Amino acid sequence: MTNTTELKKSALTDRQKDILQKFAALGSLVVLAFIFSLTSSAFFSVNNVMTIALQVTSIALLGIGATCVIITGGIDLSVGSVLALAGVIAAVAVKDYGAPVPLGMLLGILTGTACGWVNGVCITKLKLPPFIATLGMMLIARGVALQITGARAVSGLGDAFGELGNGSIMKIMTVGDDGFPNVSFPGIPYPVVLMVVIAFAVAFMLNRTILGRYIYAVGSNAEAASLSGVNVARVTTFTYILSGTLAGLTGCVLMSRLVTAQPNEGVGYELDAIASAVIGGVSLIGGVGTISGTAIGAFVIGILRNGLNMNGISAFAQQIIIGLVILITVWIDQLRNRQ
Amino acid sequence: MAMAIPFWEGNRMAGSIPEKVAQDRAGAMTDTGAILLRLEGITKAFPGVVALSDVHFDLRRGEVHAVCGENGAGKSTLMKIISGVYQASAGRIIYKGAECNFTSPLQSERAGIAIIHQELNLVPHLSIAENIYLAREPRHGFLVNRKKLHADARSCLDRLGIDLDPATIVRGLSVAQCQMVEIAKALSLDAEVLIMDEPTSSLTDQETVLLFKVIRDLKKAGVGIIYISHRLDELAQIVDRVTVLRDGKYVATGDLAATTTDEIVARMVGRSLEEKFPERTSKPTDEIILAVKGLTRAGVFSDVSFELRRGEILGFAGLMGAGRTEVARAIFGADPYDAGEITLEGKPLTVRSPRDAINAGVAYLSEDRKSQGLAIRMSVAANMTLTNMRALSNRLGMIDFARQTKATNHFIKLLSIRTPSENQTVKLLSGGNQQKIIIGKWLFRESRLLFFDEPTRGIDVGAKFAIYQIMDELASRGIGVILISSELPEILGMTDRVAVFHQGRITGVLETRNTNQEEIMRYASGYVRTRSEGQK
Repeated sequence: MTNTTELKKSALTDRQKDILQKFAALGSLVVLAFIFSLTSSAFFSVNNVMTIALQVTSIALLGIGATCVIITGGIDLSVGSVLALAGVIAAVAVKDYGAPVPLGMLLGILTGTACGWVNGVCITKLKLPPFIATLGMMLIARGVALQITGARAVSGLGDAFGELGNGSIMKIMTVGDDGFPNVSFPGIPYPVVLMVVIAFAVAFMLNRTILGRYIYAVGSNAEAASLSGVNVARVTTFTYILSGTLAGLTGCVLMSRLVTAQPNEGVGYELDAIASAVIGGVSLIGGVGTISGTAIGAFVIGILRNGLNMNGISAFAQQIIIGLVILITVWIDQLRNRQ
Repeated sequence: MAMAIPFWEGNRMAGSIPEKVAQDRAGAMTDTGAILLRLEGITKAFPGVVALSDVHFDLRRGEVHAVCGENGAGKSTLMKIISGVYQASAGRIIYKGAECNFTSPLQSERAGIAIIHQELNLVPHLSIAENIYLAREPRHGFLVNRKKLHADARSCLDRLGIDLDPATIVRGLSVAQCQMVEIAKALSLDAEVLIMDEPTSSLTDQETVLLFKVIRDLKKAGVGIIYISHRLDELAQIVDRVTVLRDGKYVATGDLAATTTDEIVARMVGRSLEEKFPERTSKPTDEIILAVKGLTRAGVFSDVSFELRRGEILGFAGLMGAGRTEVARAIFGADPYDAGEITLEGKPLTVRSPRDAINAGVAYLSEDRKSQGLAIRMSVAANMTLTNMRALSNRLGMIDFARQTKATNHFIKLLSIRTPSENQTVKLLSGGNQQKIIIGKWLFRESRLLFFDEPTRGIDVGAKFAIYQIMDELASRGIGVILISSELPEILGMTDRVAVFHQGRITGVLETRNTNQEEIMRYASGYVRTRSEGQK
């Protein structure tokens, strides 16, 4: 009898802790937004919110992939390089081979998929540690991107190439008396729409499908999952393919925004992606994590950067602050788990 | 031929030097036969369990003293107390005439008590010499005196008659050679007491012969050796006296020459059936569910053949490492096998992975719940349904949560699992409830053959009874049940027949009704096999 009541008590506190942590991350996000809107009048405007959302897309898209990989207990260091390679492939296909833009972009995305598949095979079949396998891919993908372009940016891609990164939906525009267009609502940029759709889709996959259940099971106890009939290799490989594909998509979006393919784009993005996942409560040991948490983590980083910029704080100081935020959030997470 | 003679005589014959001469020689150097180490009334209590209670033991100079007992009898705990890993809750340790209280292995080592663990403790990337003198290298100021290091190591190895270069890196050595290095290390510490825990468990026959020769030489030099082994058949070759422990209590000590293996076994298992078992309702039929023929995995198990009939519970008995779990894992597809045929319900079963086995209706409840059975950070429902997610989802792989809740609650009720809800994290439940969740997940899969590997380890009596009832219920429903257990009362109480394993082979399949613990123990220690071979 006492045993049961004890169980109930601890279950309740466990759930409370979980809610608390979610609110803690979300709460710090709200506090950040509040502080920045006080210190800078331009911060809390429709335009700036859209700018932040746009800036967050790349971290968030990569973070979604990173979340799935980290839940299985792995890590993907290659996404920053893979996105550069994907963007370069898309641009070269369009410019040098005259492919239509959608086909070029598809090729870019599939390049990411292929890189993710190679990562997965190296980890599950060659039994390389994820850190090493994706470190290798990080160097290789970057090298190929630089090799293809001769380390030069690919420009002159045409307006159509810029559509994905710069277009938006629900843009409200009236033509004023002076003949100039008057933008009353900037619209929601396509990348933001993509981010939201993909976040919901992956969250659905993780929470509501067999595959998602298997991903958590592999990360929680790969041996037990395997002995329960889960194809651990296939599930693991899937997460790397997802991560690579999202990196490919991110690459296309980024290059499209600039209407230029930069082989040096995305250096260090893998660490932003991992940071957003970690701030959002994803455990590097595996088995634990949510897309909503990672989305919050991505926005924490995005808002910090944007707000600090608007307050004229140097890029160097920004790095220091973001570094501290990562240390503090993970430390709080550790404290929570130790109890 | 030596084996056909009662083994105390075999002991005398096995010695390379006539015993009289050896004793004279040893007597000249040291005081052979004097008490070197004496333990009085040793008791060790851990929170919630008394591992040792009032144990006596003494060790003379120049003798090999075996400590025998079943798994969990307290042998390891006793050795850990002698070597200072644990401190006794009560009792005295008298070493070389003075009472000692070692608080760390380092202290006992300094005093001359060395222990060679079953898992060897060498640094693989260092050389033999560096391992022998680890942390006490001869020095020139800040530098290691390599010349002296190698010369000293050389002389240690020479004393043992081992022909190895002290500069050899340990990683490339065989298990037997590593053991020799450990012994050399013990000698270099001027050890007077040497504890050997299952030293022959991974040695070949020839290596064992060499080890025994070294042990005899150490005896002659006046070293007292405490020898722990499950292989009762080999005691005769080197052991002088035997002490038997059972359930943490001292049972008896005697000269090996004055006793028999039968007597030792009887004393090792001599407890009455303490646990209660439910009445068996299932009756074995003639229909064969599982037939295994000549199953072999090189170096692990060989030529394993047995049959499981419908309605029957078959037991796998044997000592740890005898190959019971390995055979089960091979049939389940978790480990490969080299040869053999498996037939499940008349159809040949070929499995490459647990997935294949599960699809064929085979289930394996692992002996280690936490590391192999459960995703402990996930919910009861997630764990219970992991084996059969397809049954809960539509064609697109979307989980029907209503069905998941219904199915999970069905098994929670059926197996009386005590949990606040199906969403509870498994980590927070007791061992018995965790085990029931694992059973639930295989019932949900509608398995037709279940291996229960040590299903009641670490589980309280009430939950044990419930698990026994479930096993009986499964058997009476026509599901094949194989019980792997180190608890002989459990084997005797629950099975219809027992396959006894010894060193990767089945040494006998016994009708449970007509056997007893002593007989099973004899088969498990390989004594029966050796004796029958000796009679040929």
